[in-house]
Amino acid sequence: MIKNLQKMQPPVFPVERVIIPEVKSFSLNNGVTVYSIEAGTEDIMRMEIVFRAGQVKELIPLLSSTTNMMLSEGSQNYSSEEMNRLLDYYGAFLNLAPEKDLAGVVFFFLNKHIEKVLELSRELLFSPVFPEAELNALMKKRLRWFLVNREKVSNQSIDQFFESIFGKSHPYGRQLREQDFEMLNPSVIREFHSAYYTTDNMTIILSGKLVPGTPELLNRYFGNINSSKKQEKDIKVVISSEQQKLVHIEKNDAVQTAIRIGSPTINKCNKDYPGLKILNTVLGGYFGSRLMKNIREEKGFTYGISSNVSSLNLSGYKVISTEVSPKNCRQTIDEIFTEIKVLQNKPLTDDEMAVVRNYISGEMVRMFDGPFAIAESFRSVWEFGLDINYFHILSEKILKIKPDEIIELARTYYNIDDLYQVTVGPK
Amino acid sequence: MINFKRFTLDNGLRVLVHEDNSTPLVAMNILYDVGSKDEDPEMTGIAHLFEHLMFGGSVNIPEYDKPLQMVGGENNAFTNNDITNYYLTVPSENIETGFWLESDRMQGLDFSQRNLDTQKRVVIEEFNQRYLNQPYGDAILKLRPLAYKVHPYRWPAIGRDISHVSAVDLKHIKEFFFSHYAPNNAILTLTGKITYERALRLSSEWFGPLPRRNIKERKLPVEPLQEEERSMVIESDVPSDALYKVWHIGPRKSPDYQALDLITDLLAGGETGRLHIKLVREKKLFSEINAYITSDIDPGLMTIHGKLMKGIDIMTAEESVNEVVNGLLEIDETEEEIEKVRNKFESSTVFSNTSILNKAVSLANYELLGNPELINMEVESYRGVSAEMVAEAAERFFPSSNCTTLYYKSSRKDS
Repeated sequence: MIKNLQKMQPPVFPVERVIIPEVKSFSLNNGVTVYSIEAGTEDIMRMEIVFRAGQVKELIPLLSSTTNMMLSEGSQNYSSEEMNRLLDYYGAFLNLAPEKDLAGVVFFFLNKHIEKVLELSRELLFSPVFPEAELNALMKKRLRWFLVNREKVSNQSIDQFFESIFGKSHPYGRQLREQDFEMLNPSVIREFHSAYYTTDNMTIILSGKLVPGTPELLNRYFGNINSSKKQEKDIKVVISSEQQKLVHIEKNDAVQTAIRIGSPTINKCNKDYPGLKILNTVLGGYFGSRLMKNIREEKGFTYGISSNVSSLNLSGYKVISTEVSPKNCRQTIDEIFTEIKVLQNKPLTDDEMAVVRNYISGEMVRMFDGPFAIAESFRSVWEFGLDINYFHILSEKILKIKPDEIIELARTYYNIDDLYQVTVGPK
Repeated sequence: MINFKRFTLDNGLRVLVHEDNSTPLVAMNILYDVGSKDEDPEMTGIAHLFEHLMFGGSVNIPEYDKPLQMVGGENNAFTNNDITNYYLTVPSENIETGFWLESDRMQGLDFSQRNLDTQKRVVIEEFNQRYLNQPYGDAILKLRPLAYKVHPYRWPAIGRDISHVSAVDLKHIKEFFFSHYAPNNAILTLTGKITYERALRLSSEWFGPLPRRNIKERKLPVEPLQEEERSMVIESDVPSDALYKVWHIGPRKSPDYQALDLITDLLAGGETGRLHIKLVREKKLFSEINAYITSDIDPGLMTIHGKLMKGIDIMTAEESVNEVVNGLLEIDETEEEIEKVRNKFESSTVFSNTSILNKAVSLANYELLGNPELINMEVESYRGVSAEMVAEAAERFFPSSNCTTLYYKSSRKDS
């Protein structure tokens, strides 16, 4: 008989409040703001150059993302192939990042190649040529990707969900159609680029073990460019949710039904947001959440279920997502509503409250672990005009929030009558 | 340079420690030397199902996740053909909870019928979600049994037939556990904010009392040399045709491994891979194309797969793929390109090693291969790959007789 190990958990030390590092900033000669996060042990850097040039600025579907993806398709001095070959040769990684609100580029590189990366980034951001042949080829490829993705119930359901909560005509909600892939030409792309990829609309976020003299180098490559955003270009469509709260898209050959339940909500700028994030964690934000326990670990209905709260510049949204066998779809939806009602009426036990507090505190440690994680965390608040102080407020809220406040938040933000419900699957 | 120390407990548990004080966290990785290749062909998918059961409670601990969340930890696991791997990260001050949890489930599970029933349903939903409810999701299920005739790599970790998972009972589960889960069949790695002394003390305290177990002897059939090209055509309701080609390659430890890995980068690494430049950009045959090798311990596969543009004939597309692959034999065209992919490998390694979790998983894998020092030698061995070695590997592994092709055709008229 082997000796039994202990039944009792070893001592639990409170997760130390995360040390939120300072983010420094300086301006280039032309006024471009640079944020810098000095951390890490390796001689590597991440450089994000970001513009308020996301989907929200586009009048024509796909315009923002295509402009972004065309940046590396050739510039005045380099063909697309030459540019990509150089980046590869120097072991640099380029991520093009078109999003709903922002668009830009992220480079990861070895410090010794910083000058080459700066030269190429200046080329692709400020001297792209948007050749027609490359544009046509890209759009044909994107159409094929779109047609494949459209087959997935998960994609179909989230696209419909955004349409339902943000409206058919707002860029946040508009769904793509096949013909949208034939609407763009180099001149609209050039126009979008010169309207939004401007130095007065640009921010640089650097992180890693910064090379000495980085500010001078940045000034040399970017400090002498001056361009301004054409303000009148901003579109004025207001968000208006669709009336229909319940949408089912029939896909009879689907083996699983995708479920998306949620609604527009507050964003990071609202004082309730940190509390809502904590409530969301309890509901479906981690492996031990109410929804995971009920739908996966008790019933075995799904491989995964989660809830999310996200911020956008003009709004925010919360969404519960899962895929289940069609025969369990009805019961899953009922259980989701039951879990919400329980959160609105029954206070969390001290035990669950402690688990959630500690789990999120651990998550915060991970959010600031290493220079690149810090950069991403910083960007996620900078985007909303906030600073790193947001995380002090969040961390305070994690320690202080009471079960009553969670009930209050669940009642305010999870009003069942406000929730949209999208399903994609068999009849 | 990743400095580490290594020790073995009396019960055979191998432990590797890499201290990195730039983080407040510790990553803990436990690799069990059991994968889907160790399964009975009539009961496949059990190694992966077992991974799920490992979270359902152990001898002294009713639930794995909660105590870990209580100390700010996060965890996950994966199963492949060779191994079952569990990992967690936790703030350093609470790493002892990780030792408590992992040693308790190495000691034994609570083997509850209820947990087994639930996790079977979860795994079946996972199968549905990943393989059946995705366009082209079943390609790998068709391809493996075509490429392998006898070796257990012929089924994927999820199982050869999902009914196998439904049929597993508690007796099988117990048998599986006691013949594969044991200190002498595991590798523990710790990276991050932990000293060697603390790691040694905690490992001895928590894992030391566990007994060795008799590990089921591994007797895997050797895959016979493929002598003739194989192919299969399937038709399915997908938006466009797709082409899958695989070639048998050597085992992970074979001297060709690095050359083959670089070959896949030459072919499909980023925007400037040859397949991408020639077949996506120039000839516009594919909307996307990819190439990679499996890092399987036993002889694995190199795979190329791509989705076709509208109206392109799949045989024409295949011919062009073959042309590009045959182009690898031209030594003088390759040198500068090889320098490019070698640089890219070096740079990815540097970036990957900024994560303590990546370092923990890599160290465990190199230990399993028999030499953890390889973690610091890999860049150099990739640096040593020459144009001649690329051509030699191409000549050796890419004759058509060594190739298996899956033509995944769209049944739609407008594809």
